[in-house]
Amino acid sequence: MSEAAKAEGQAKPAEEPKLSPAELKKRAKAEKQARRAAQKDQQGGAGEAPAVNGRREEDRGQKQQDQKPKDGQQKGQQPQQQQKQAKQTAQSDGKHERSGSQHQNMPVRPKSVQPSEAKEQRETKQVELFSHLCTQPRRQDITGAHKDVHPTVAATGFQMSNYDICGSSARCVAMLLAFKEVIQAYALPKGKAFAMHFTPHYLSPQIDFLKSCRPISESMGNAIRYLKKIIGELDPDMQEQKVKEYLCEEIDRFIHERITVTDQAIAELASGQIKNGSVVLTYAKSAIVEKTILQAHAQGAQFRVIVVDSRPLFEGKQLAISLMTAGLDVEYLPFSGLAHAVKEATLLLLGAHSMLSNGRLQSRIGTASVAMQAHKAHIPVIVCCESVKFSGKVALDSIVLNEVAPSEELLLQKPTATMQPPSDQKANDDEEDEGKLRSLHDWKEIRGLQILNLMYDVTPAEYIRMVICEYGNVPPSSVPAVHRLANEGM
Amino acid sequence: MATVKTNPAPTGGTTAQQFDVVATYHRLLQEDAEITMPVAAIEALILGLANTPATTVSETLDLVSKLTEQLKQSISNPISLSAGTDLFQQYLISNLQRPSARGDFDSIRGHLVQNGRLFVERAKAARETIAGFGRRFVRDGNTVLTNGGSRVVGSLLRSAAESSNDRGGRGSIRFRVIYVVSPASHTSNESESEANIRALRERDIPVATIPPTAIAYCMDTVTSCFVGAEGVVENGGVVNRLGTLQMATLAKAAGKPFYVVSESHKFVRLYPLSQQDLGIEQNIVDFRTANGSEKESDPRLMGDEGLADMDGGRDVMIRSASTPTCPPEEAVDYTAPHLISGIITESGVLLPSAVSEELIKIWF
Repeated sequence: MSEAAKAEGQAKPAEEPKLSPAELKKRAKAEKQARRAAQKDQQGGAGEAPAVNGRREEDRGQKQQDQKPKDGQQKGQQPQQQQKQAKQTAQSDGKHERSGSQHQNMPVRPKSVQPSEAKEQRETKQVELFSHLCTQPRRQDITGAHKDVHPTVAATGFQMSNYDICGSSARCVAMLLAFKEVIQAYALPKGKAFAMHFTPHYLSPQIDFLKSCRPISESMGNAIRYLKKIIGELDPDMQEQKVKEYLCEEIDRFIHERITVTDQAIAELASGQIKNGSVVLTYAKSAIVEKTILQAHAQGAQFRVIVVDSRPLFEGKQLAISLMTAGLDVEYLPFSGLAHAVKEATLLLLGAHSMLSNGRLQSRIGTASVAMQAHKAHIPVIVCCESVKFSGKVALDSIVLNEVAPSEELLLQKPTATMQPPSDQKANDDEEDEGKLRSLHDWKEIRGLQILNLMYDVTPAEYIRMVICEYGNVPPSSVPAVHRLANEGM
Repeated sequence: MATVKTNPAPTGGTTAQQFDVVATYHRLLQEDAEITMPVAAIEALILGLANTPATTVSETLDLVSKLTEQLKQSISNPISLSAGTDLFQQYLISNLQRPSARGDFDSIRGHLVQNGRLFVERAKAARETIAGFGRRFVRDGNTVLTNGGSRVVGSLLRSAAESSNDRGGRGSIRFRVIYVVSPASHTSNESESEANIRALRERDIPVATIPPTAIAYCMDTVTSCFVGAEGVVENGGVVNRLGTLQMATLAKAAGKPFYVVSESHKFVRLYPLSQQDLGIEQNIVDFRTANGSEKESDPRLMGDEGLADMDGGRDVMIRSASTPTCPPEEAVDYTAPHLISGIITESGVLLPSAVSEELIKIWF
């Protein structure tokens, strides 16, 4: 499969920019097909180890042939052929007997099946288990965007995609503020009703654009649902200008009620959990946890804070700095110092990306481990979470619902200047893999290496002692009750 | 707990209306042995409301919250009581602030007073309903472990003893009861457990009494445990007489079901994470040297007593007279929800996690 890997590196940049929504859809479909085919292929080969080995050898032999033509033409065919083979064997032999040798001896019929070729190659740098999450890479520029995308939305989207705006609540607020601009900039075509035209023809492209920059969070989803609901309930006789004013007011009210005031209420409640002599442990950075700690400090409690942080975002640094500036006693530890941190802590405060309906917490990756350690040490694990982040979804693992960030974020800083040009590298790769010193930055050229950079993980409800939301302290089992109360009746 | 007393009126009755809510509360508790603390608190508040001429909504709410504050100040452990007063306050707020309530305030108020009485009646009747639900948890050949003088557990066991499949007077369920009784017991509470034991023995139910130290010893002969509750907290844990936690822990370790029997008016909006979070001052762990208690020299640990001292000598006297800081019989502990198999209430048998949902239903 190494050809595919190489080709991906080449094909990707060329192909990315000019994608219209229709093309995207087509591609997604093709990808799905390819994935399915790959799966079948795997199932075919997974039965016995020899089959895999046999194929690998065949793969190599084929590769050496490939090198001379040095053209993309044949590259894609190889996997295709294998698939065909696998399928044929599956059909003819049934499941049980698929030995490697038989597989190898099958006559190879060169067949030109082109359409899913590029997609087939793309797969290989994605971890198969998470391929449903990386349907499209994050948008970095405005090429191919819908013509109506408002500049504010575009700016907001890019700020989100490069983490200038980070955190579920902050992104939600930024989105709503951008939507206010969108509403103001919108001109209702003659003879159309606001509710009928605005949402599908003007708002949706904006949302799609934001989604293409970074998958939207649960809070954003809830806010969008709310916005669509109030638009749907608009009085059709209302003047256009009135409608705009009304919607902007409603958005302001939403931000005020569901986020600003809520944050204050939660900080108030949660700071009550911090007592004299407490040692507060926290992971990465959550705005609401920061607020809580600062509030407790302002109320005069004497306590210490331990911030555990990890790659790649190092959000905890900001938190540690902000707490230090406020005059708090802060200890900053890397993730590897977790066991040490847990020993001293009396309380673990966590922020949330979303609270799921089975009481599980979806939060920055690494949170589950921290929560588990705290739980094992009998330290209360407290989650601070606005009800706007409560979700009706249920997840048992962090595979189904997650976000894959660009793999490059996981790489360390490039070693300076000593890098060989990539073409050189490839030549080496083609000759022989072993014995060559290479850095992780060449991961795209290294066969069999995939880098997975997940954003979130899911913490089991058993680890969570208490969830603090604006309705008070609730056990994680009451998340669906609060969600119904807060997000469905709104 | 509030630190400022608006009106220290436990004995004097110095409210403008000359109504002494604390005395009323204690009188009610004494008059009716069947009444529980939250219900007594609610009844006292209703009497207070009936005796005082409040003319506006906010005046009424203000009065109720003032009376509640007095009540809470007057006793050392207001958890159980606050369940009742909070419920009543919430009920008042939701009723008085309804738009329809604006019109005729007097009739609404009269209605409230009437309905409040109804509430008290219903609360008493709840115990029978609970016994109806709970007796199905006691089967033939079971051995039941229980403690303390909970009236609702008593009525549950009595009901189980009397229940029968045929129409004969005697019960057909043969079970045995192990009663945990503290050795030194002269309080009213223990006489309550005496009464329970007597009632069961009269119904041909064999009852053994053991000291708390023997719980672990007899745990393997037990099929299930039943305890009452002073308060059921938001996460589904319970606050109950000291010793409940260790019984629950032992039951959990032995894999025996541990049921809490409680009326739903004892659900209280409190979310403790540990024993120290109950918001009451208990002098259970008292480090001493030859020079006396450690707490006296450490102002940080003094809490309520410290405040009382500052208020003046009279207050301390009252405090220690009515509620000696912490008699071991009055002390409570908090049992975490994961130790509890089920909570038997008049609205059904709930998992601990359902308590929070019930509370959300009441409050929002």
